[in-house]
Amino acid sequence: MDDRPHKAHRPATSGGKVDKKEKGKGKEKQHGFNEKAFAPKSGRRADRQGRRNVERDQTRLHVPLVNRTPDDQPPPVIVAIVGPPGVGKTTLLKSLVRRYTKQTLTEAKGPITVVSGKKRRLTFVECNNDLNSMIDIGKIADLVLLMIDGSFGFEMETFEFLNILQSHGFPKVIGILTHLDLIKKAATLRDSKKALKKRFWTEIYQGAKLFYLSGVLNGRYPDTEIMNLSRFISVMKFRPLIFRNAHSYVLADRLEDLTPRELIRTSKGKCDRTVTVYGYVRGTNLRLGTKVHIPGVGDLEMKGVTLLGDPCPMPDADSEKRRKLSEKKKLLIHAPMSDVGGVMYDKDAVWVNVPGNFTRGNEDVVQGEGEQMVMDLQDVGSTLEDAVAKSQIRLFGDSSKSLTVDPSSSADVEIESDDDEDDNDEGDEDDSGIESGADNDNNDEVDEEDRPPGPRSTGRSNRRDITRSIPSSSKTQRAEVEYAESDSELGDDDALEQGGRMRLNDDDADHDIPSDDDEGEAGDEMSDEEDESAPRWKKNLAERAQANLSSSRKLRRKDWTKLIYSTSLSPEEILRDKPREESLGDEMDEDDFFQIKKGEAGDEEILDSSKDPLDAEELKRWEDEDMLESIRHLFITGEAGAEAEGEGEENNGDDEEFGDIGEDLEGDDEIESPKQAPKSDSETSRAAALAAKKEALKRKFDEQYDDPEASKLDFYEEKKDEMARQLALNRSEFEGIDAESRTLVEGFRPGHYVRIELADVPCELIENFDPTYPIVVGGLLPAEERFGYIQVRIKRHRWFTKTLKNNDPLILSLGWRRFQTVPIYSLDDHSIRMRMLKYTPEHMHCYATFYGPVSLPNTGFCAFNSLLGESPGFRVSATGVVLDIDRSVKIVKKIKLTGVPYKIFKNTAFIKDMFSSALEVAKFEGANIRTVSGIRGQVKKAMPKPDGAFRATFEDKILKSDIVFLRAWYSVQPRKFYNPVTSLLLSDKEHWTGMRLTGQVRREQGLKTPLNVNSTYKPIERPPRRFNPLIVPKKLQASLPYASKPKLMVPQRNQTYMQKRAVVMEPDEKKAVALLQQIRALRKDQVARRKEKKEEKNAVRQKKLQKEEALKSEKEKEKRKDYMRVAGQKSKREADIEEGRGRSKRRKT
Amino acid sequence: MVHVGSLVQFSGHQHLRQRLVLSILSGKHVRIDKIRSEDKNPGLRDFEISLLRLLEKVTNGTIIEISVTGTAILLKPGIISGGTVTHECPLSRAIGYYLEPIIMLAPFSKRPLQLTLKGITTDENDLSVDLLRTVTLPYLQPFGISDGLELRIKKRGAPPAGGGEVQFLCPIIKQVKTLNFVEPGKIKRIRGIAHAVRVNPQFSNRMIEASRSVLNRYIPDIYLYSDVYKGDESGKSPGYALSLLAESSTAAIHCAEAVSKAGVAPEDIGLEATRALIAEVNKGGCVDRKHQILVLLMMVLGSEDVGRCRMGEPTPRTIQFLRDVKNFFGTSFKVVAADPSDLECSHLLYSCYGTGYVNANRTLA
Repeated sequence: MDDRPHKAHRPATSGGKVDKKEKGKGKEKQHGFNEKAFAPKSGRRADRQGRRNVERDQTRLHVPLVNRTPDDQPPPVIVAIVGPPGVGKTTLLKSLVRRYTKQTLTEAKGPITVVSGKKRRLTFVECNNDLNSMIDIGKIADLVLLMIDGSFGFEMETFEFLNILQSHGFPKVIGILTHLDLIKKAATLRDSKKALKKRFWTEIYQGAKLFYLSGVLNGRYPDTEIMNLSRFISVMKFRPLIFRNAHSYVLADRLEDLTPRELIRTSKGKCDRTVTVYGYVRGTNLRLGTKVHIPGVGDLEMKGVTLLGDPCPMPDADSEKRRKLSEKKKLLIHAPMSDVGGVMYDKDAVWVNVPGNFTRGNEDVVQGEGEQMVMDLQDVGSTLEDAVAKSQIRLFGDSSKSLTVDPSSSADVEIESDDDEDDNDEGDEDDSGIESGADNDNNDEVDEEDRPPGPRSTGRSNRRDITRSIPSSSKTQRAEVEYAESDSELGDDDALEQGGRMRLNDDDADHDIPSDDDEGEAGDEMSDEEDESAPRWKKNLAERAQANLSSSRKLRRKDWTKLIYSTSLSPEEILRDKPREESLGDEMDEDDFFQIKKGEAGDEEILDSSKDPLDAEELKRWEDEDMLESIRHLFITGEAGAEAEGEGEENNGDDEEFGDIGEDLEGDDEIESPKQAPKSDSETSRAAALAAKKEALKRKFDEQYDDPEASKLDFYEEKKDEMARQLALNRSEFEGIDAESRTLVEGFRPGHYVRIELADVPCELIENFDPTYPIVVGGLLPAEERFGYIQVRIKRHRWFTKTLKNNDPLILSLGWRRFQTVPIYSLDDHSIRMRMLKYTPEHMHCYATFYGPVSLPNTGFCAFNSLLGESPGFRVSATGVVLDIDRSVKIVKKIKLTGVPYKIFKNTAFIKDMFSSALEVAKFEGANIRTVSGIRGQVKKAMPKPDGAFRATFEDKILKSDIVFLRAWYSVQPRKFYNPVTSLLLSDKEHWTGMRLTGQVRREQGLKTPLNVNSTYKPIERPPRRFNPLIVPKKLQASLPYASKPKLMVPQRNQTYMQKRAVVMEPDEKKAVALLQQIRALRKDQVARRKEKKEEKNAVRQKKLQKEEALKSEKEKEKRKDYMRVAGQKSKREADIEEGRGRSKRRKT
Repeated sequence: MVHVGSLVQFSGHQHLRQRLVLSILSGKHVRIDKIRSEDKNPGLRDFEISLLRLLEKVTNGTIIEISVTGTAILLKPGIISGGTVTHECPLSRAIGYYLEPIIMLAPFSKRPLQLTLKGITTDENDLSVDLLRTVTLPYLQPFGISDGLELRIKKRGAPPAGGGEVQFLCPIIKQVKTLNFVEPGKIKRIRGIAHAVRVNPQFSNRMIEASRSVLNRYIPDIYLYSDVYKGDESGKSPGYALSLLAESSTAAIHCAEAVSKAGVAPEDIGLEATRALIAEVNKGGCVDRKHQILVLLMMVLGSEDVGRCRMGEPTPRTIQFLRDVKNFFGTSFKVVAADPSDLECSHLLYSCYGTGYVNANRTLA
């Protein structure tokens, strides 16, 4: 039966089914676009839809912000991993690092930089649970991975961190729920996920990304989940944050102490250190000459900044061609403070970790940095002794073994020491010294010129072409960016160095220096020419120098930048061309010991004025008609070349539109302007310029003709265009010039890996260095280096339980800084005065003024009362924004001066006890005063007799018992207290204590609050006032009309009838009364009995209730026990993690 | 608690104004010593003292210490407060001497400045108030300082007795715009003001006639105003002067002026001013020689972008200024030839990376 095939289906050819199908076919037939389908059915709906679309369009728009981070070679994105302890931060970090680099970290400390894609690098930082670290991380993180324990829920630190982020510019946040495997029941898991997500969305924004990580496998999170997360990270876009777009900053991934060991030894480690920190420049360009602030340390001076080779470079051009990142690039990781790659940079040592067995033979194994270093050390052919023997160091000035080394041997040393940088330098110097000994007198200059480059001096002694690649820029760059004093060949040398090979540059970079160096240089080179071994290019140089000298000076172009910045010539000398020889002669004379003191005779004539005195000679020239005609081309009516005229005509027409044209010209001609310059008379260039102009005009016409709307941009597009144009200009302007002078002009761009040398760093930073605490080097603007009174708008955080008291110390995180200061709270009182407040108001902003380092207006901040981890509750006590910066403050508080009248006339009274001297009264003459009852008056004049008494007038007669008071305003000054939170300097970094409150100090020292007797509260005694009866004299009474007469009645003295009479009852009446009495007695008894019964019942009920209560409390107890159990587990887990047992323990629970 | 700001040191009395301005703007303390220490009359002059007093008036919290001999000063700058200020200038220098540094500072003050200066309005050494009004203030326009920027000449005062009065109104700004001014353009109009106080009013017309005799050949758009002040408004001394300015199609302005001298005919003064203007026009560039410093300073204070400006060769003052800027702000300029191909052209292209100076004194809300 199985093998028999089924009968095929035969569709019906007739009947109802077929009919149905036939009918349906016609309906289906409609193809193509159905216009009706998408047309709005009602006009109202169409209108609504239109509005909605427009509104949605508007939400797309943001305030255009300039992004100062370059698109090519941006710095690595800082990804901070933040969360409470035990939530799995380190596990996530390790998983992510493993995902990107295929390396397992055993110890993850400090920032870890990896290459994540062709155009992106990431720096991972793990943030510990210290509030200081959270603040610092919050200021620099581009992306925050906020980890939340799914089995526990949100913790206070998470909310605190979010509030910190809010006040310092919100970076991107991705939430990550972990420990979800601990929730066993699916329904509970779903519910808790939902609840957490809801809470997270209210904190960040609706729809914020929340990731779920399930269990842990092999000490890592599941690979697929991590991959998903990494994809999210790699496509993340970042909007520039205003504060970071105005400040440069560096997250230090390495720190070294450069202090001489001897100094440390002699000072027992207590001397100020010279420290270098390493990291990528972020934010804006890092400029020399500005100060930096390291949160937790303080303001520091940058002694020098050096550009280093990128330790974790982006994939270069060849790998760019591929779509994906090559596997080799994936292995790049830069984590100097962790033990990755076998090298760990400790604070004063470098540890090389060689795992397992290690042999030199196998080259195919990828060797880490450290292994390579060890192998290099093994490779050294000669011992130190040999090196010393060969070196030309002379121990004593008069030592007999003088350095008569022949040039060939010195060359040998150089060649040998090619791989050793220090040796090479030494060799160079000595080498040049020897040569210059053979040279003529100007050996100083030769020495100076020869110092920087290694390659050049080797090139001199043997003819080999220098094609050696630079090991890394860090080695060849000089330690400090500095101006060589009149080192004219600096640029040239650099060019050689950078290119790695020689070239004969015949541009004007070299033959431009009209300083005295030129001659010296020329002489030097002439002497070089005599040397047989001089290479060809050198000869050429000399010839060129000669040619330069002979060529006319007029056509020679000065290098103004160099003349202005790197020579010591006076401005007049720079401008004067001719007397250069004289100045040269002067300079030569400097060698003489005695010099005639030059009188500064010329100084007095020079007035500090921007108007030059009119030069009669110069003006004489313009009496000549030909001269006048010669400048006709400078006017719009002038006829100098066809294109000039064209321009003139064009400009002539539209007078008010010239600004527009100017802008156009700027926009278009940026690239073309050199070509367009109508200077050379050759026909071709003019034709080209004309063509370009025509082309531009045509383009403009086309644009306007084709779509007149398109050329008109809206405000938003216009602004964005403007920014893009400016950024393009920024990039192109300094493209051509060499790196060193470029850094001088524009500083170190973001994305550069730099080494910052900091002077006078407190030694505690080095001694108590802990890589788990981030070191942020924040650049300061010039204004931020100063101090002043800062007025801020502040609001107490609604989760902070206490009110903030005036003059209580507060820790602020403002700008880069964290500091403690003493604010004075105030409110604007009717726009007349700033009135001091004793406490911050509830649910309201107020002003606060404090002394401290200046931050620009509009900078956000958050405030804390204590940074300690053990302080209970929510620690962010207030948030706010900077409003104003000043050097003085005007905050007042109310003061009431009281006095009492001692003599009262009609409207005049004499007041005493308000002032203590006549002088004080004189100051307050004319001031408004008032009595408690509201009678207003004025201070008139001081009285001679009781000191401080005065005459005052009132609008009405006052009473002797009245208190007179004067309302005045007393100005309050904030205390000049600024105490930076130097948490990084402590060995116990989480327990920084600043100024304490008086109450805290008293409590800690066990002191009692001093009690002023006058300040104690006593019951107020108000003796009843006795008023004398009003007596109207008889005479007056008599004359009064009846209505006004006092109607006084004497009370009746004798008893009335009703009081006097006696009552005798009838027998019937008596009986009735007795009966009533009996009934009442019965009723009373009944009520009493009823009450008794009710009480009994009540007692029974009470008993029952008690029983229930007991049961309830039992339940409560159970509940509390449960909670404590969970809390205990949590704390145990923390303890476990500290012990290092970590996850293994965790999984059992 | 004393916070020692970074101190910059100079010696000599030259370039005092620009150093004071840079110090106040950058907030760095400045110490200048050896002020005319070799002179027979050592120390600060009265006008310099007066300038220091004026700076103290427009700032809040500035501390100025002058040594006993007057040969050294220490300036600890406060914030620029602005507001309504009146100042009586000594007669040794004209108002221009005091107004120039104030123009550099005023846009960065806390409140809009309303400064009344009394003294000499026009003299030989300093920029006259006419030029300040017609040339200096328009130079601030591309930097975004224009609305409410005004210089009112209430009274004119010629040397030696003075008696003039001007009112300078300046708005405040948040940040200076970046300048990109590389097209000098061609001169499209010439304006001038000839004034005569306490002399024959015909003098100004005579100057104008003389000037027109030279200028008429170039362009038709020439207006030379005759500005005669009478009575109380004309100051205490007789004098007359002609100030000329030539504006290009891209709003570059060049200016010159000549002031009356004893025994010289007004025609000669007119011709002198005209020739000076022609010489200035011939030098070319986008910025006048007299205003190089102002423009360069505003470029330094611009946002963190590249600003460019094409000018002629720097004056000695400009060179010193560039060096001083480097001391105070750490900013150095790239100065290259504007036309590398053309050897005859002496124009230079000054470009720098702005410091991103934000007016921190400005009050919010």
